[in-house]
Amino acid sequence: MSVLDITNLEAGYGGMPVLHGVALSVGRNESVAVIGANGSGKSTLVRAICGLIPILAGEVRLGDVSLQAIPAHLRVGRGIAAVLEGRHLFGELSVRDNLRLAAAHGARLRPGARRFDVAQVGALFPFLGGRMDSAVELLSGGEQQMVAIARALLLNPDLLILDEPSTGLAPKVVREIMAVIARLRESGMSILLIEQNVALAAECADRAYVMAVGRVVHEIHAGQWSTFRQDETLLRAYLGGAAGPAS
Amino acid sequence: MDLTLLLQSALAGLTNGFVYALIGLGLSVIFRGTRIINAMQGEFALIGGMASYVLLESLGVALPVAALGGAVLGGITGVLVEAVLVRPMRRRGASEESYLLLTLGVAFAISAAVLYFFGRDARLLPGIGGEASALFFDAAIRVHAIWLIVIASAVMALLWLFYHRTVVGLSMMAASVDEQGATTVGINVPLMRTLTFLLGGLVGGLAGVLVSPLITIHYEMGLLLTLKGFAAAILGGLANPFGAVVGGVTLGLVESGAVLYFASGYKDVVSMVILIVIMIVMPNGMLGRGARKGG
Repeated sequence: MSVLDITNLEAGYGGMPVLHGVALSVGRNESVAVIGANGSGKSTLVRAICGLIPILAGEVRLGDVSLQAIPAHLRVGRGIAAVLEGRHLFGELSVRDNLRLAAAHGARLRPGARRFDVAQVGALFPFLGGRMDSAVELLSGGEQQMVAIARALLLNPDLLILDEPSTGLAPKVVREIMAVIARLRESGMSILLIEQNVALAAECADRAYVMAVGRVVHEIHAGQWSTFRQDETLLRAYLGGAAGPAS
Repeated sequence: MDLTLLLQSALAGLTNGFVYALIGLGLSVIFRGTRIINAMQGEFALIGGMASYVLLESLGVALPVAALGGAVLGGITGVLVEAVLVRPMRRRGASEESYLLLTLGVAFAISAAVLYFFGRDARLLPGIGGEASALFFDAAIRVHAIWLIVIASAVMALLWLFYHRTVVGLSMMAASVDEQGATTVGINVPLMRTLTFLLGGLVGGLAGVLVSPLITIHYEMGLLLTLKGFAAAILGGLANPFGAVVGGVTLGLVESGAVLYFASGYKDVVSMVILIVIMIVMPNGMLGRGARKGG
């Protein structure tokens, strides 16, 4: 039984499709990565799932519900929470207010789905405790990323979407975030991870889809990570050689 | 300088200042929430004042109810303008300047409608405490003016609490800070914009109700109030609603101080000159950018 099921998806900006017939699925308790070079359509995919851009053709299903007719803000109620590229936090508001908003709307839109409360995400990100009253825009990039993940978790999603959570962060911070993703996987959260770095994706995901110019061009099945990462031709063809450091 | 005269002018300035502050507050609430400069903020006051007058004089409703009715009608007007005019324009990708033109057009339309239906007569609402005045040392102040300051202050405090302590208020701020972030948290951003206009209209309507015992209600009152409120909001930094309060009171005090030195006809000249100077010297308002946090 899959949580997310996308078939033949076309979506884009101003009526011009960027995605051409994308199909992918995320199973329950599964962590799936989407990898691809810049401009391959990864973020467009996230925005279409979240309803920030219209679906031009095809279908996005969450469980047994088609998302097409559901307004973006109500998709939270269907069990999606996304950390968008660039995080899109409320920079002028305090960490506390950012989290409080997510907790309040999560409780309103998903009554009975309570998995995380502020205390629990506080345990996941211990630094939050001391920074609750800081304006989010004054935090470091890594801290902001953690607030963004905490905010998404407070929406109590069935599916957590993370769009490039490692971009622009110091290696040490990336490790911290990866550790949190690992813990979420253990807890049974279904995850869709958008990532450019193949090494990180391999570490955090059971399997992956490789995207190029708006299409899924390759699938990496469970257990095939090492084969893929050793295949220079594939790496160069799809990722421009940007495979990231081996780990 | 005669101390009593100075005090008298300060009290008058304070009263006017709170009126400017209320208009500026409404303008700033709408700007903060929607990035629209609402050129019809003064018209909310005209509608609020006129509605209270009609409720009171023609329908015989009690003054507090009539006052409330005026404010509510201001709010309803705000919602209608947003839902019927602003929203379709936004859907078609209108630019920021076109909203200024829109609200300016609506302002003229409302002014003309009031002229058509109510004529050129100036009307006056009875104040709280009637015509009575209180003595403050040797200077006199209308009892109503004291109430105006008290009520306006209470509204400002309530608005602050609303924005900082309630989920709806925080959601409205969040929607204005980051529309997409707000949407992915489950906030209905278009609804927050409508609520923003509701709040702006309520505050504007209330300003009209409060000021109408002091200055007369007539069809041309809106534009001047908008200008003064705009000056107040700009002085305080347009994106910070509570800056408008500081700006409004400052503007009121400077204006009334100027009257001590210049003929009173030059009052508006003085306030507009200050506006221009402030915009050149301090483009982020008197409080600067730092004070905008969470405002």
